[in-house]
Amino acid sequence: MLRPSLAAMAVLCLSTGLATAQSAWTGGDDLPTNPLACDGTPATPVSVDYDGGEPTNPPDRAGKAITVVDVPKLIGVGYFDATSKGIAEATAELGNMTATTDGPVEANIDDQITVIDNYITKGVDGILFAANDSVAIAPVLKKALEAGINVVGYDANAEPDARQWFVNQAEFNGVAKSLVDALAAEIGGEGAFAIVTSTFTTPNQARWISEMAAYASACHPNLTWLETVEAQEDNILSFNQANTLINKYGDELKGILGMTSIATPAAADAVTQAGQCGGIAVVGLATPNAMKPYVESDCVKSVVLWNPVDLGYAAAQVLRATADGTLKPGDTSVQAGKLGELQVINGSEILLGAPFVFTKDNIADFDF
Amino acid sequence: MTARGFLRHETILALLVLVALFVLDRQSDRFLTVDNLFNQGRLMTEVGLIAIVMTFVIVTGGIDLSVGSILGMTAILIGVFWKNMGLPLPAAIGMGLVVGAFAGFVNGVIITRFKVPPLIATLGTLALYRGIAEGVSEARSVRGYPEWFFVLGQGELWGAPTQLWIFAAVAIVAAVVLAYTTFGRTTYAVGSNEVAARFSGLGVDGAKIAIYSASGLAAAIAAAIFVSRVSTTRSDMGTGIELDAITAVVLGGTSIFGGRGTIIGTLLGLVLIQSLKNGLSLAGVKSDGTVVLIGAVLILTILISNLVHRDATR
Repeated sequence: MLRPSLAAMAVLCLSTGLATAQSAWTGGDDLPTNPLACDGTPATPVSVDYDGGEPTNPPDRAGKAITVVDVPKLIGVGYFDATSKGIAEATAELGNMTATTDGPVEANIDDQITVIDNYITKGVDGILFAANDSVAIAPVLKKALEAGINVVGYDANAEPDARQWFVNQAEFNGVAKSLVDALAAEIGGEGAFAIVTSTFTTPNQARWISEMAAYASACHPNLTWLETVEAQEDNILSFNQANTLINKYGDELKGILGMTSIATPAAADAVTQAGQCGGIAVVGLATPNAMKPYVESDCVKSVVLWNPVDLGYAAAQVLRATADGTLKPGDTSVQAGKLGELQVINGSEILLGAPFVFTKDNIADFDF
Repeated sequence: MTARGFLRHETILALLVLVALFVLDRQSDRFLTVDNLFNQGRLMTEVGLIAIVMTFVIVTGGIDLSVGSILGMTAILIGVFWKNMGLPLPAAIGMGLVVGAFAGFVNGVIITRFKVPPLIATLGTLALYRGIAEGVSEARSVRGYPEWFFVLGQGELWGAPTQLWIFAAVAIVAAVVLAYTTFGRTTYAVGSNEVAARFSGLGVDGAKIAIYSASGLAAAIAAAIFVSRVSTTRSDMGTGIELDAITAVVLGGTSIFGGRGTIIGTLLGLVLIQSLKNGLSLAGVKSDGTVVLIGAVLILTILISNLVHRDATR
């Protein structure tokens, strides 16, 4: 009884999503959308065959102490300090794995390749990476696999066959749901809002906007989209665009969605300066450090992103599971310590979970 | 060999390289292995090609800061010629080399014809060529090169990495040209005293244009090898490579004021930097620490050399 009705709902959601995607909101793309269920029921994963790589003749590492190197895009920035912290948490918990973080001092493809190459020569059991370029890093990662090293990516993927697994921090439909839900909760489920994005053709932003349009039309039909404005990831332009929106729509405007980590704080600044805190909600993607002043002054209630500490933690857990042989091609989930069971999606990716919402209660714990 | 000959900068450097190799070998048993040395040669080739021609540039008392940007621009153009314009890949690479040499030629013309100091001229083209690379690429990368192309950057030929043969050929030709030909002596003469060289009837401007064109060509060859090694093209390729090349040249004993320097010195400089980078990493030093150590070694080497040569050169 329950099954057919769920399926019918899913079909309804999907069809309305598809029907409105093209015409809905400016700044979206024309690709098909896949909105999540309104109540957050995880979508049944479409089964895709494992498309990752395999190490050549790896030694039996099950339960044995292993040495791992973590090579982020660059070192010395808050974001990757946070992922390293997560990796350290996981190794402390596991007890049979040591991890060092080493990487280029600038986000440079060649330096990153050299660092990985040196660790292959040195001999490690596992490599964790966040790629500066998905294709450029592939040859050196394949070399690592050929040397029998376990390779797991996080944050930024490589070509699937150059690594075993990739821990995906957030899917487009998940981010879209979190943003729209947060907006709806703040303005009371009904009202008009506008979007500040980078450009109408920026791939990630366009994807999020399409997914948001599909999700909102299915789950929050009383939200009214006014317009999308471009702000080029430019601080001053973002502020001006948000300011124009406030003046143009007056009382009608209940919320602003910021689609970039530049646009969101700029919009919050514009709302603060216009004295509209509480009257106009600002919700968006941003890093905690940029948003702390506005969250602490109660002008912004929720900032959506993922938790980089959890991301690093999950990556380390996945690498351990891969080395132990408890995560094999064809598995549909993996046990990741305190994060519980994580889903396998798209063949060889592991989904970290729903995006993380930074609020006044937890934002002080993050520094990036 | 006289005492002064023995204390040449290159000799001091060669001793330093030996000490470094010995010390690093004690730190890790994976350092002095054929596989690792060949692999390091592979990683060193792009900087090496640029540094060899950079030696000529600096011997004339000039500098070429635009090589990294030429590398990036050529890499993108090879991709665009091949993928977007549908040229066969060898032709696209050929055209890339022509563009690289032309970009260097433009540097030479700006420097000789308009009397712009090389530092300023190439600082300008550094921005210009990188801008063209970014504009042409539209922040997208070109990928999907055919398998045979990867032999250049990832494959082996006669038992050694393919690009090492190109590097060796360029190094030998450059060493001979700089040490034993009229062109080489002209290069030194321009760097020692440009006015005197002009009054001696030497083709100063022609030599300079030829050297800057060769510098652009070397960057373009490095670009083709780089693209093959990493199997993709991006507009930010080669950013900062000019500084790595200049560091190797200066460490190799080439005077930044011109008139002095050898290819052997540059090669020793390259080997010292690469073995430090690799050996320290294998010994467990992280990359930020390695950068600091290389800076210290550079200053130390120049200091030792200056102390020994205080009487000889002044």
